[in-house]
Amino acid sequence: MAVKTAIKVTNLTHTVTANTGDLTILKGINMEIKAGESVAIVGASGSGKSTLLGLLAGLDVNTSGEVVLYEHPFSSLDEEARALIRGQYVGFIFQSFHLLPSLQAVENVMLPAELKGDKNAQDKAEALLEKVGLSHRLTHYPNQLSGGEQQRVAIARAFASSPKILFADEPTGNLDEGNGKIIIEQLFELNQSQGTTLIMVTHDNELAKKCDRQLMMSAGQLVEKA
Amino acid sequence: MHLALRLMLRDLRSGDILTLLLALIISVSTVTSISLFIDRLQLSFEQESANLLAADRLIRSDDTMPNNWQSKALDLSLQIAESTSFRTMIFAGDRLQLSQLSAVTDSYPLKGAYLVDNTLFGTGHPFTKPPEKGKIWLSSRLASLLAVSIGDEIDVGESKLTVAKYLVRDPGSSSSAFALSPRAVMNSADLAATQVVIPGSRVRYALLLAGKRSDLDNYEAWVTPQLNSGQRWQTPTQKGNRIGDTIAKAESFLLLTGTLAVILSGIAMALASARFVKRHLMQVAVLKTLGATPKTLINVFLIQFTVLFVIGALIGLAAGWIIQGIIASLLSDLMSTSLPAPSPSRLWLGIATGLISMLAFCVPLLQRLIKTSPMSVLHPKLKIEQNTLVIYSIGFIGMYGLMCLYTKGFLLPSIMTIAIFGIGLIVTLLGWTVFKLGRSLTSGATSGWQIGLASLYRRLVPNLFQLLVFTLIIMLGLILLGVKTSLVADWQNQLPADTPNHYLFNVQANQIDLINTATDQQGVIKSDWYPMVRGRIISANGQSIQTLYPEDKSEPEIYSRELNLTWAESLGKASQLVSGDLSAHGLSIEQRAAQETNLSLGDKLTLNIGGNMVTLPITSIRTVDWSSMQPNFFLILPKKALQDYPANFVSSLFINDANAQTFYKAMSQFPTVSILNVGDILKQVQTIIGQLSQAIELVLLCILIAGAIVLLASVRATLEERLEEGALLRVLGARKALVQQALFVEFGALGLFSGLIAAAGAEACLYGLQVFVFKSQAAWHPLLWGLGPLMGVSIISGIGLFASRTVLKVPPMHLLRDF
Repeated sequence: MAVKTAIKVTNLTHTVTANTGDLTILKGINMEIKAGESVAIVGASGSGKSTLLGLLAGLDVNTSGEVVLYEHPFSSLDEEARALIRGQYVGFIFQSFHLLPSLQAVENVMLPAELKGDKNAQDKAEALLEKVGLSHRLTHYPNQLSGGEQQRVAIARAFASSPKILFADEPTGNLDEGNGKIIIEQLFELNQSQGTTLIMVTHDNELAKKCDRQLMMSAGQLVEKA
Repeated sequence: MHLALRLMLRDLRSGDILTLLLALIISVSTVTSISLFIDRLQLSFEQESANLLAADRLIRSDDTMPNNWQSKALDLSLQIAESTSFRTMIFAGDRLQLSQLSAVTDSYPLKGAYLVDNTLFGTGHPFTKPPEKGKIWLSSRLASLLAVSIGDEIDVGESKLTVAKYLVRDPGSSSSAFALSPRAVMNSADLAATQVVIPGSRVRYALLLAGKRSDLDNYEAWVTPQLNSGQRWQTPTQKGNRIGDTIAKAESFLLLTGTLAVILSGIAMALASARFVKRHLMQVAVLKTLGATPKTLINVFLIQFTVLFVIGALIGLAAGWIIQGIIASLLSDLMSTSLPAPSPSRLWLGIATGLISMLAFCVPLLQRLIKTSPMSVLHPKLKIEQNTLVIYSIGFIGMYGLMCLYTKGFLLPSIMTIAIFGIGLIVTLLGWTVFKLGRSLTSGATSGWQIGLASLYRRLVPNLFQLLVFTLIIMLGLILLGVKTSLVADWQNQLPADTPNHYLFNVQANQIDLINTATDQQGVIKSDWYPMVRGRIISANGQSIQTLYPEDKSEPEIYSRELNLTWAESLGKASQLVSGDLSAHGLSIEQRAAQETNLSLGDKLTLNIGGNMVTLPITSIRTVDWSSMQPNFFLILPKKALQDYPANFVSSLFINDANAQTFYKAMSQFPTVSILNVGDILKQVQTIIGQLSQAIELVLLCILIAGAIVLLASVRATLEERLEEGALLRVLGARKALVQQALFVEFGALGLFSGLIAAAGAEACLYGLQVFVFKSQAAWHPLLWGLGPLMGVSIISGIGLFASRTVLKVPPMHLLRDF
């Protein structure tokens, strides 16, 4: 059976308006990512990595070109439809975790499943937190957890909706080496066990090497790294 | 449970929902408590004034009234009573006297009480029933003139009636203060048998009504269109009468307080909703990345706001109800009568305040939340499309609408709106200039005060906004304080302790010296003697009054009845010349009467005086303080025009309770002189003023507490950023004292500016309020200029330093981790 395409990008260009005039961040990007593949996007700060990640996940609308996620072309969808697709296909891990401070660890993990109306959200969340080794921290609030623990909660949250694609933006960027390693191990483990496609933006070469493919962003353009 | 509610319950822990809920509760409870309390006070004033009218409402008529007027009143469950008043001769043996006689039904008075005595010239005690059938009550003067005492029989027309009591005052008589004949009252069951009222008799009929306000309003709406020119609908608090004026001013004050409470509520809601949105922007962005659609988010927030509104409104209403109960019970010891129960129908105002402030402030902000780009999770500094001006404009329009709804008018809300815009402009211009100046003076800052001043410019926009909020809150407090102080002082000046409480009239010229001697011996303080001649205006500038007001029910008072005319060479204490010359050969007219009749200097009036037509031009216009209890007149004529007519004289005097009996006895040697005791009316006015002053002070305290809470919330709103900066300074090695000093300077400067601008704004507002709303003299308020800055500096830096004490105590590392 042929491997399905998770994301297909054609001639993707993105321009933003800055104080000094229009600024083209992404210039005619073409790429294709297969389902189950893990891809690292590397590059210097300001090269447009995070913007590309956001556009791939449908968080914003590109200026021209097309992003197709599991056969859904984003350019023809409004925010309402894009959000539905995110809920159905996408999970996120951020550099600064973005846990909701008023929610306990377990409630943060439950959130994506609850948004989908999943009645077993709590059981799922508890199981996922157990998998990331935080079963003893279920009712802790983000400010009671260390950075590493917060990122593990974020990983559990990302997998709570059983996503087909996981987007990770510098997942170890705010962590020390030890914690970073644990996070990466857990991330890849879950990724493989659930057959998820992983697209990760990172500065960390070691981390990038763990992925099936590495793509290099430079001056708004993408080149495949050997 | 719905996702929205689950999220809301979890959000409760963060305090943001609680802040919004608290703001809503403050809004609803402040407006509810004040409007309920005002309503109770108004009802109480009406009741007290009703005692003077003997009813809640009254129809006076020159003819008998249609029978269906009574049946309609009974249909509406109103209580009714009737009185028939006329002048007639009363006979006792060979003595006879022209008297002012009232025949009343058994239910009279519906409100208040008669003042009667069993002793001739006694001071009287209250009695709530009229004379029984076959009985008559005579004033002491009438009894003296007829030489009868209790138990004697007198003749009224064809009937014989027994004198049962001496009448000191009957309720409802205050409006006929200058009735010339001595008074008597009998039961209307005896009226027909007397046969004194025959077709053509000059009789005044009154239908008295009492009952629920809504029923009275319905009756008024039904009967008013049927009134003819000889019939008049009267309410207890009608303008022009002295209690009515006093109450109207107090109501204006309380209305102003309510309006300011609405503004305060708006500020509280604006602050809380802005904080809510700020803290939820990232949450919404994260939810969007997790797949929450805009529709889901709108649903979530609408449900949350609805639940919040219901809970906030319910708690607010309950709190408002309790607070007004506490105010009322605190006042109960000070008030002579207990306040009527609060009417639940007034609760709508609190609900409307909550709903409009939610709609005006939260819904536009909700739209801003929904528009948050999910991209901001990847680029936290991404600017969110927002138009704060539009959002606050919508909020402001909502508040303006609410104020108009509340005051049922545009004047007060417009004055307040113009003032707020003016203050906004001044704050922006002055704040920008001063903050910039502070910045340029402190480059290379090293000391606490330099860092503090520099911070003002660095956070220019939030600081300007905060300056505006502080200024508005302090200004509201100062306005209320200023209005309260001058209003209470006005009232106290208006009725000093030795305000005349008796009138002497029907005095002949040859009696003046004798009376002067008698009263001087008792050390009684007396006004001048004024001659009085009766006359009626029959035409103005050659046009007859009937032509000017054909079939018109609302002809001005001076055209509608016979007037007491006088001459005077100088104006008394209670009058002031506005224009013209009092000594010219012409008429001097009271200002309000001139305005009502559109008369001005040079216009000519023709009067019928004793059957002769006298035409004179208006040569002066003067103000009259009708509440001064001095003899006052609409028209003053030249002496030459009146001196040939028989005149009697009037004067007013103050007699204390201890001297009253002696005075009455001394005056019994002048049986033809009429004495009108207005002491109880005066006492009633003074009681009302006392109650109002106390009530106003409590309401003021209440609103100042609400203001302090909002002030606290507004300091908290921008505290985080300041604390973060303080923590950073400490990490970089700044001593505690330096951080403390910098915070004190920043808050202190904000407090000082807001206090000063607030004092200027309050002074301007007070000018507008005094001139346009309270119609009193504008005065300068030096107290505000000291109090404003003092309040600003002490409260704002006090709250700021108290709230920031953690920055100074906790290790900097902890603080940075929290931010």
